[in-house]
Amino acid sequence: MAHVPTANGTAMTGATSLVKSLEASGVDVMFGIPGGAILPAYDPIYDSTIRHILVRHEQGAGHAATGYAQVTGRAGVCIATSGPGATNLVTPLADAAMDSVPMVAITGQVPSLAIGTDAFQEADIRGITMPFTKHNFLVTDPDQIPRVIAEAFHIATSGRPGPVLVDIAKDALQKQTTYDWPTSINLAGYKPQTQPNQGAINDAAALIAQSAKPIFYVGGGVIKANAARELLELAQLLGAPVVTTLMARGAFPDSHPLHLGMPGMHGTVAAVTGLQKADLLITLGARFDDRVTGKLSTFAQNAKVIHADIDPAEIGKNRYADVAVIGDLRETIKALIPALTATLAKGRADISPWLASVNKLKATYPLGYDTPADGALSPQYVIERLGKICGPDTIFAAGVGQHQMWASQFISYEKPRTWLNSGGAGTMGYAVPAAMGAKVGAPDTTVWAIDGDGCFQMTNQELVTCALNNIPIKVAIINNESLGMVRQWQTLFYDSRYSNTSLDSKRVPNFPLLAEAMGCVGLSCENPADVDATIEKAMAINDQPVVVDFRVHRDAMVWPMVAAGTSNDEIMIARATAPDWDSQEL
Amino acid sequence: MAIHKLEVLVENEPGVLARVAGLFARRTYNIDSLVVSPTENSKISKMIIEVSVEGHSLEQVIAQLDKLINVIRIEEVLEGAISNSKHDTQPDYQN
Repeated sequence: MAHVPTANGTAMTGATSLVKSLEASGVDVMFGIPGGAILPAYDPIYDSTIRHILVRHEQGAGHAATGYAQVTGRAGVCIATSGPGATNLVTPLADAAMDSVPMVAITGQVPSLAIGTDAFQEADIRGITMPFTKHNFLVTDPDQIPRVIAEAFHIATSGRPGPVLVDIAKDALQKQTTYDWPTSINLAGYKPQTQPNQGAINDAAALIAQSAKPIFYVGGGVIKANAARELLELAQLLGAPVVTTLMARGAFPDSHPLHLGMPGMHGTVAAVTGLQKADLLITLGARFDDRVTGKLSTFAQNAKVIHADIDPAEIGKNRYADVAVIGDLRETIKALIPALTATLAKGRADISPWLASVNKLKATYPLGYDTPADGALSPQYVIERLGKICGPDTIFAAGVGQHQMWASQFISYEKPRTWLNSGGAGTMGYAVPAAMGAKVGAPDTTVWAIDGDGCFQMTNQELVTCALNNIPIKVAIINNESLGMVRQWQTLFYDSRYSNTSLDSKRVPNFPLLAEAMGCVGLSCENPADVDATIEKAMAINDQPVVVDFRVHRDAMVWPMVAAGTSNDEIMIARATAPDWDSQEL
Repeated sequence: MAIHKLEVLVENEPGVLARVAGLFARRTYNIDSLVVSPTENSKISKMIIEVSVEGHSLEQVIAQLDKLINVIRIEEVLEGAISNSKHDTQPDYQN
């Protein structure tokens, strides 16, 4: 049913005005749960063109909105009631803020006269979410609803994207108002700069042409700005190596010869060392996060920095920028390509020795893993086969921990928006609801959640939502019966004292049975020889969600690794094993 | 340690003081003093904030403050005079 715009000046309740405003904002789906304070809004939702998906926990609604936003690039929408309904959105809002996800969260609030009285189901959600929303609103006047909703979507989706919360008092939803959709948005304090400064572009081009050891340090901003194609052109123009951070996997094809892989704590030797030894970081939409830089004072010590970002506050936050370019990354790269072409034509440094040395590192230290001698299933093998069998069009959403790192390392990402994860916040429980939202946003695409047995037990209830709403996602539980990453740290740094990291998830719960109980198909696989057939069986089921319990051995560790707080120069490729630096020339 | 005085124009909306104070607290910036006063425009208030910068650059404090949607303009007050241009966080490329 096509959306028919509502004429301004029409009389209606605040609740209807809210729903009309969401329709006018282009919302086609939202995830939520009703409750007392938001109940007036659910009456017009019943008649709306917007598909409302009734989730089982508000956290699921929030991460689903994120998954939807990350695959579509449009704002994800979630809706909850006051008090505990709203506080259950806190984690997804924090998650969305850390990963710059455009999201609009609508919450009901107790009636305006009851605000501040510790009323039933009252929580100051505006106060609670101030630190990790891009902006938030409390609406007590129904006449303000259309303007606030229009501003919320504008703020969430423009500039550096982020979550916006709109808290609406129950009486504002109930009262009569006249609908008045704004014709323009004018926020005195919010005017993001999208066009890069040409002087900065020219300076960047000059610095790049002089550099003998340049490297592209690519962050999630490239995906947000839909600039993957432009990045490919720029990288090929310069012929310099590229690294893609955890949030940028898919921004540059993994199969491309210039790609060195992921940098950071569990990055490849070539990517980590490439950044360390470069003389110029061409930083595009990345933020010098501690998981990338390691000990900051020892990070890329001999490198100058070009930092291009839409958010001025990222410039110089963690690392001084020699050249800063503020603006939309797509516009920035589009401006940089002709500027660099002209500069390179006048002469450039020879980067071929640099390229040869990073390529030697890439060839010498590929990602790999040991297969257990007793024939037990390797988690890395399962994930590698998933990537190979399902192919580059599949969307993968990971939880947080070892399986997340392996899913980033051992699947080849060729396209943007095919890799979803909780990078900044590290939210265990992200995968299942995010995959649900992704599948809603891309219904014709295969969507796999790659989850840990710990993560899965935090949010698996959304499989009920998937089963009942024809959202046939697939879930691979990488079941090592442990909080695996924590266990890995205990192995390495706590003398193998496994305090509270054993989950016994090969005994309880019975994951296939649990899946069946939630209306999904439950499969199990413990033998390496059965992996391919199990994945193919799951791929053949498209009318129901599928959960596969991959029962893997528990002692696999994620390598390479830079221990927290240490220098990237201390990268280890296996326990107590550093790369053989003497044979490398950089 | 240098103390900088900022004149910050903000939208006169409920919660704006909490937004500014909360930002300084969570990013571990130190407020030495804070005065909020009305302006001739009833929709806009003026904050005079004295911030002691330790471990952070003034540019970073201003850039983070500028991200608050309700913050309209930030100027550093220099030795009795107010600098004319709005602070910009982009080094060398004032616009």
